[in-house]
Amino acid sequence: MPKLTIDGREIEVEAGVTLIEAARRMGIKTPHFCWHPELSVAANCRMCLVEIEKNPKLQPACQIPAAEGMVVHTENPRVREARRAIMEYLLLNHPVDCPICDQSGECKLQDYYMLYDLKSSRLASEEDKVRKRKHVPFGPHVVYDAERCVMCTRCVRFCAEYVKDPMLCEVHRGDHSEIDVSPDRTLEHGYSLMTAHICPVGALTSRDFRFQCRVWFLKAAETICPGCATGCSACLDHNRGRAFRLRPRVNNAVNRCWLCDDGVLSYRFHNDHRLCSPSLGRGNPQPASWEDALSEAAAALGKTPKAERAAVLSAERTCEENWALIVFAREALGIERFFLAARPDGTADQRLRSADKNPNRAGVRLMLGAEPEPMTALLEAATAGRIRAVIALGAEASAAGVEPSTGLLRLGTVVSIAERTGTLPDAAHVRLPCGSWAQSAGTFVNAKGMAQEFGRAMPLGDGLLDVHEILARLARRLDLSFPYKTAAEVRTAVAGRLPEAGAAGGAP
Amino acid sequence: MPYVVKRPERDIWEQSYIPETVRGMGVTLRHFFRNVIGRRDTVTILYPEVQRPYPPRFRGLHRLTQRDDGSPRCTACMCCQTACPAECIHIVAGSYPDGHPLAFVEKYPAEFWIDELRCVFCGLCVEACPCDAIRMDTGLHARPVEARPHLMYERNLLLSITDAKGDVLTANPRKK
Amino acid sequence: MTTFFVVATAAKLVLFLVGIITCGALMVWVERRMSAMIQDRIGPVRANAGPFRLWGLVHIAADGLKMMIKEDFIPRRADKLLHALAPMLAIFPVLVTFAVVPFGPTIDFGHLGSVNHLGPLFEGRWATTLQVAQVDVGLLFVLAIAGTGVVGAVIAGAASDNRYSLLGSLRAASQLVSYEVTLGLSLVGCVLVFGTLRLEDMVLWQHHHTWGVVVQPLGFVLFLAAAIAESKRTPFDLPEGESEIVAGYFVEYSGMKFAAFYLGELMEIGVLACFLAVFFFGGWDVPFLRADGIHLSLPMLGAKFWAMPHWSVVLLQLGAFGLKVCGLIFLQMAIRWTLPRMRYDQLMELGWKAILPLSLANVAVTAVVLHALR
Repeated sequence: MPKLTIDGREIEVEAGVTLIEAARRMGIKTPHFCWHPELSVAANCRMCLVEIEKNPKLQPACQIPAAEGMVVHTENPRVREARRAIMEYLLLNHPVDCPICDQSGECKLQDYYMLYDLKSSRLASEEDKVRKRKHVPFGPHVVYDAERCVMCTRCVRFCAEYVKDPMLCEVHRGDHSEIDVSPDRTLEHGYSLMTAHICPVGALTSRDFRFQCRVWFLKAAETICPGCATGCSACLDHNRGRAFRLRPRVNNAVNRCWLCDDGVLSYRFHNDHRLCSPSLGRGNPQPASWEDALSEAAAALGKTPKAERAAVLSAERTCEENWALIVFAREALGIERFFLAARPDGTADQRLRSADKNPNRAGVRLMLGAEPEPMTALLEAATAGRIRAVIALGAEASAAGVEPSTGLLRLGTVVSIAERTGTLPDAAHVRLPCGSWAQSAGTFVNAKGMAQEFGRAMPLGDGLLDVHEILARLARRLDLSFPYKTAAEVRTAVAGRLPEAGAAGGAP
Repeated sequence: MPYVVKRPERDIWEQSYIPETVRGMGVTLRHFFRNVIGRRDTVTILYPEVQRPYPPRFRGLHRLTQRDDGSPRCTACMCCQTACPAECIHIVAGSYPDGHPLAFVEKYPAEFWIDELRCVFCGLCVEACPCDAIRMDTGLHARPVEARPHLMYERNLLLSITDAKGDVLTANPRKK
Repeated sequence: MTTFFVVATAAKLVLFLVGIITCGALMVWVERRMSAMIQDRIGPVRANAGPFRLWGLVHIAADGLKMMIKEDFIPRRADKLLHALAPMLAIFPVLVTFAVVPFGPTIDFGHLGSVNHLGPLFEGRWATTLQVAQVDVGLLFVLAIAGTGVVGAVIAGAASDNRYSLLGSLRAASQLVSYEVTLGLSLVGCVLVFGTLRLEDMVLWQHHHTWGVVVQPLGFVLFLAAAIAESKRTPFDLPEGESEIVAGYFVEYSGMKFAAFYLGELMEIGVLACFLAVFFFGGWDVPFLRADGIHLSLPMLGAKFWAMPHWSVVLLQLGAFGLKVCGLIFLQMAIRWTLPRMRYDQLMELGWKAILPLSLANVAVTAVVLHALR
């Protein structure tokens, strides 16, 4: 266990820990471009140079392991001067096109310029700058700008080490060096947006997020990715009711610090095809007030005999929402049969992506205490006329090998509680809009059986209601009892049925 | 802590009102007669006919400057929108398609709205602009309109507004 | 009662009414332009009749037109009858007191060209005194009618169903009642000296002896102060107050009813100027001018006399009266644009503790002096 001194303070770390990591544990932020805690050390940006006493040259803190008796200075004039010089080199040929660069606002070049450089360029003329390729599409999700690139090779190492598909490489030499995709390849391996995410400058940017919003307008909120059963921790960036992107949030138990492309883009579940107000009518929905919609739903459910009612749970929605529906269906409506609506399965890989594209299938199973029947069973029952009325949660409902809408159309009554259009709301007589996953608080149980609680990332929009609130109002109209008034009461009821919460979440 | 108001001390001369009133009337009448007969000290400017010349840095309505080829200089960097304390600027960015002569600029304002009713004419947007794309050198006032939307100035209108000399290009020699 | 008497009285009445109402309107212009000149402004000069702006005189017509077109607003819970009555009551005393103002000596249409040896006031077949009504109790009539001015203000405030109006009318009432006492008392000295209540005889006394301001200087100052307070103008404009009670008792008035209050206030200045002229500045008297011509008696040159025809003497004296009234109007307006307004307690203090004792003292001293001189 080497013991060393950094900026006058002693610290003891395990053998093999680098100086940059040791400094980070002490709260000292060492500037860096190329170093990434999850990637191998390249030590090519030279930004993390620190002074080690009895060592004639400055050393890269990302590469030097801590050793017994080391005395390290991370912020003395010599180090600062070295960093200033590095910044001058890096910015020499930089186009300074921050106005059109999506990275500006979260760009390390900007931050370190303000911290260490603050000088104007000594280049005689703008014309002397080395011109390189700009806005080169690397793949469907990522675009590359060679002039902004500082050649840290984080993206190269990410593809080689994490994705194990070394398709990116450095080409040319000196001022002219840049990153390129291997011939006949495109940057398309399911994690390509992570290259844009880890790019410390504006060289690799997301084509999806490109020019959509300046990052300083964004507000970040912690959430769980709703894209698949892995349940990666993420931050949702949003502004004025619109979501813009998901960013990975460090959770060493699940996703470490990565997110797949589908995950980054799953913010769209919040933006697209939303239901904004209650509506009535099958096929040709007419907007209605909450009063009318709830009365209509209550009347339709109330007139069907108990035995012919059923409830559809949703693997897209949180445990709390499913539990509220289960309680409402069992205690208020006397429903015995529960079915499960879910998105269709997709591709899986060895890293983060699960085949099950629903974030909470395991959670629904836990809430019901049994395996819910599949959608195909509901379609059969509907065709046979054994079930006439259904109260359904969630938008998407896939049934293996069957087009679900035709079967659903045989049902006399479908009351759909959903945040966006989909199979169930499209077949419904009454649509009651609730908040998207980002607008709700709750718990997802992932494929590994880990319960992860998350808060409301964005405010519930106008005209929307929480699921438990919708059910409570329905119960009031039906003169039936529903035990929950607030989200906290549902939460308390659900807590006991969940696995140990200690495994949930992770340090950001 | 009680605060004792100091009362002014007045002698009998002042207390008797009359001499002081006469003195005061002397002041008013001096002004009166000087303005009626003799030179006029009136400071009033009869506005529409007589106009006080505006200072060269007068901040009027905004305009968006054009490049020599008529495209907007603005690159939709949103610096003005960020700097605006009245939150009256709204920009939607668009990107030039590949092969477009301006594709090297990449970005342009697909929509650019200024709510001149909300604008406080502080000029921070002009200060913030890195491209000299927004200027307030038009010398124009927000004119009275019949409906609020008429003062929601849109991109093409802003681009067509000229500076006081009738120029649609930038007036900044460093940016020419 | 001869036909000539009726015609002459009617003519004087019409002449005077038209005259003072025009005068009131003109004073709106004077007030605006004068304040502008005092404050180094231009004042309203925008309204025009084609290319003619006439120094803003057209504004009077524009204002009149506006007042007539404006909605006559009556608050929902106001007393409709009293609300309509109040402006009439406010303007009534102003118009009526004009009746007893002697604005000229007797004029004899039969002998306009000849020299008048009968003196300024005489009777004849074609003679008429330039005064609408000769009333024996002239001064008492004036005070009595002026006293009703408060009724209009109080009724306006009470009928408007508005707290500001009510407060304004209460202020007006207490102010007017307080200063009415002094208004009368400050004139008692004049009455003692002149020995009459008839206004035309007061002027005659001054014509023969000397102007009232010389024998009653304190009375003049006291009367002026009390009179300005009666007309509710700065520095005594407490019944109005934008920051406290808006426009006071006529907040709820608009259109011609508002105009009645506004014009009444301005015409009151004219009435006061007339009375000031009559009581203290010799009315129509011109120094050295007698009914038959100019009498000059200077220590060096001895007595001189130039005879003048009757018409020219009357014309000169009428002009003198007009000039005096204009000067006194100007004085009141200059005071209004010079002095800051008083606080309400200062107003009451001045009225009861300064002006009233002084006017009593003035009466006493005048009486003692007159008794000693007899």
